[in-house]
This record gives sequence, C-alpha cells and structure tokens, in this order.
Amino acid sequence: MALRLTIDGVEAGYGAVRALHGVSIGIGHGETVVLLGANGNGKSTLMKCVMGMVRPTRGSVTLELDGQTHDLTQLSTEQIVNLGVSMVPEGRRLFPKLTVEENLLLGAYRPAARAALARNLAFCYATFPRLTERRRQLAGSLSGGEQQMLTLARALMTEPKILLIDEPSVGLSPLLVTHTIDKIRELKERYRLTVLMAEQNFNQAIRIADRGYVIVHGRIEYEGSSREDLGNNELIHKLYLGI
Amino acid sequence: MALSFELLQEAVLFGVLLGCFYAAVSIGLSVSFGLLDVPHVAHPAIMVLGAYCTHLLGRYGWDPIAAGVALMPLFFILGVGIYRFYYETFEKRGSDAGVRGLAFFFGVAFIIEVGLILAFGVDQRMVEADYIGRSLAIGSFRLPWRMLVAFGVALTLTAALTLYLSHTFTGRAIKAVAQDEPALRLMGANPVRIKQWAFGIATAVTALAGAMLIIVGPVEPSLDRVYIGRTFCVVVLAGLGSMTGTLAAGLILGISESIVLMTFGASWAPAVAFGLLLVVLGIRPQGLFGR
Repeated sequence: MALRLTIDGVEAGYGAVRALHGVSIGIGHGETVVLLGANGNGKSTLMKCVMGMVRPTRGSVTLELDGQTHDLTQLSTEQIVNLGVSMVPEGRRLFPKLTVEENLLLGAYRPAARAALARNLAFCYATFPRLTERRRQLAGSLSGGEQQMLTLARALMTEPKILLIDEPSVGLSPLLVTHTIDKIRELKERYRLTVLMAEQNFNQAIRIADRGYVIVHGRIEYEGSSREDLGNNELIHKLYLGI
Repeated sequence: MALSFELLQEAVLFGVLLGCFYAAVSIGLSVSFGLLDVPHVAHPAIMVLGAYCTHLLGRYGWDPIAAGVALMPLFFILGVGIYRFYYETFEKRGSDAGVRGLAFFFGVAFIIEVGLILAFGVDQRMVEADYIGRSLAIGSFRLPWRMLVAFGVALTLTAALTLYLSHTFTGRAIKAVAQDEPALRLMGANPVRIKQWAFGIATAVTALAGAMLIIVGPVEPSLDRVYIGRTFCVVVLAGLGSMTGTLAAGLILGISESIVLMTFGASWAPAVAFGLLLVVLGIRPQGLFGR
C-alpha cells in the first residue's frame, strides 16, 4: 500500500488572523510524525486543514493513496474520512449522551469500516479493557483518561489508513499522558498505523516519534529527521527547556 | 366524589388507551424536536393534514389504517422537503436559528390550516370503517375498538423506532447528530443528510398518527392547536429523544388525565399535562427517561 500525505505551502487563518504562513510537511506510510509547538502556534489549524475543517487560502494538501492522488482542499470532511483519513480531535468530542459502545459503533459508520466492524470492535475492547467494563455506560460519565481512550478507540473503528491525533495530552494528568502515549505506540507497532500527532508535551511526544517538525508562530522552524535529531536540537532546548 | 375500585379500574384502563393515543401523536415530535432539536410546532398540523389525506382516500374506499400506511412514503418526502427548506433558509445561517425557526414552523402550521380550510371547509370530517363504532367487551368493561387502534399504532411505532435508532448505523447517527455535528463529520457522516432523513422519518410516522387521529374522532382544520401543548409536554416529560420514554410519558399523562376526569370532572383534565410537567421538571430536569 502506497500512502503519502503532503502539505505544501499552506496558508490559512480565521478572518483577518493568519495562523499558518506557508507550512510544508510530509508523512509517509508507516511513519509516526510529530508536530511540536506550544499552544496557539497553528498545530490544530494545520490538522483542520488536512480534515477539510479549515480551508487553506493558499497551498495544497494532497493524499496519494494506491496510485491515486486526491486534492483534500476540494473535499468535504466526510469525503476525506471516507478516504481513510481519521482525526482524534482536541478536547475529545465524544457523544456524551450515548453509551461507550454506541460511540464505538458510530466510528464504524463509513462503509469500509462497517465491513471490518466485528474485528475492530474486538480489537478495541482487547486494547482498552476499561472500555469493555464500561461499554453500557454513557460516554459523558467516563473520567478524562477513559474519554481519551474512547476517542482513540472510536477513531480506530473508522478503519483509518492515516490517523491524525490532536493534542492527546490536553486535560490529562501526567500519569495518564504517559499511559495514552504508550497506547498510541502500541497501536502503531501492532497496527502499522501511519500517525501525525500534534503535541505540546515534548518529552512525551518524542517517545513515539520517528521524526518531527517544530512549528513556531505558524511557520515550520525546524525539521528533525530522527528522534535523536529532535532530542538534540538547540531550538527545542530553548523552547522547551529554557536553556 | 368517592372513587370505587371498579371505577378506578375503568379509569386506569381507559387511561392506558388514552395514553397510547398521546404517545402515538407525540412520537414523531420525539424524533424531530427530541433528537434533532428542531422547534417543530407544525408537527400537530402535519398530523391533521395526514388525517385529512386519510379522509380523502377514505372517499375512494380505502381503509383508514391502510391509507395511513400508504401515506407514509409521501409524507417522508414532504418532511425531507420541509427540513431542506428550513435548513437552507434558517439553520445554515447561525445560532439564533431556534427562535426564528419557531416562526418558520408556526408559518408552516398556519399554511396547512388555511389550506385545509380552503380545500375542505371548517366542518368536521370523519372516516368510516367496520371497527370504528364497535366495542370489545372484556368482563364488565367495554373497550372501543378505535382506542385499541391507538394502542396498536403506539406500540408498533415505539418498537419500530426504538429498534431502528439503536440497531442501524443511520439510527445511531440520528441519535448523535444534535450532540456534536463536527464530531459526526469525523465519523464520515454528513449531519445535514442525517437530519434530513430523520425529519423525513418523523414526518412519515406523523402520517400514520394522523390516520389514527381521524379513526379516534372527527377532525377539523384547527385541531392541531389542541395538540401543540400536549405533544410538547409528552416529549419533554419523556426526556428529549427517548422513544420508550415517550410511550411511558404518554401513559402517565393518559392515566392521570383519565383519573382526574372521573373524579373532578372534564374541565380539570387539560391542567394535568402542564401540572405534571412542572412537577417532573422540578424533580428531574432531564425528563423522566432523559439521559
């Protein structure tokens, strides 16, 4: 399976405020790429550009999939999801008045996911045993950590070829952040998932990164081609460690 | 004033049938208002329209229940059309759609009412069928067949909608759509199409409720006004969007009204609905069966 997501020279914003100034990044099949940056630097906006939730004013977002090239800027969010691009949104966005299981089943809405429903559901329950215990409970009654697990599981139910994860650490305790990142690593290793993850928690994100980018004020300021590269970079030291 | 056991039994029995009738007239609204958050005050008017269409088909020899079922696909299309128009002109444009939407649906209700007056006049209309005048005797009680029709319609619609909403992909999407539209898009579903489809279903169900309405008693064009309060009361009492809750709330309302009717007289019965609503919302703001 050939897969490549290419973001080239993307500019985007909200009204008069420009959040992205010509951002170019790429993700290849089987890679885990992290997008590092503090709050308000454009990570979420970039994710939303890929999902068709924010339209770039300039630049291109293309997905190459099995020899076909799709221009994502011309497609609706639903169409993009139906190509196999899924996002775990920031702030979890569950359906609070539906049960855990109903949330998971909604993940399998798209036709390709329906076909794999039984296998994926079994996989999700095996990976997240807590969700099995709570399958009949309302999603809104879960703890923050459980909700993050459910959001992740629900995205896996969509049978994604590429998974975008926006700020998985927001609102979680340090222990739960570690747990969440461990789960993402486990999924990536067992599922051979292609992942683009936006995160401000550098020390956690670096644990699963194959490579990454640092975004500052809507510009890619640094591109690290390996985990070590990211770990040794001066800019990152300056931004995150203050030295 | 003294209520004998026999009389109470009769009141409860009649209350159950009346409650089923209330559930059947409200269940379409339980989808459109309860699940989709659309302020559909034209719901009873569409039901009266369904009753008149049943009356019209009755003139050509159609059985009213068969007519109600036959009208469902047509009303589905009507519902899709109404929602599409509402979406394009109101909902799409922003957050105060709720209040302006109310004006829109009042408009729809008036258009239907005036249309019916122009087409049929203001006289009462009814339908004929073998079972309408007859009763079923159980022990010392006599149950009118027309109320048993209401019983059947209510149970069928509740069961069908409950199964549809919990066991199909579209059904689950209908339950989710008002909770978080962008999140539903991320599942690969188009929220506008889902709502449009659901509104079609709600309207189709209302056609059958209309057929039941004219079986139970004669209808006239402004009959919808009587039902605006009661149907919204049942849906809110149930907890928005619960189908089995709608049946239960209908039953509670029917039985209490029936008992009040027998003990205090008919003039108090209309106060029961809102009295109950206030008490229940005071204790359980999410409604009896709301999540």
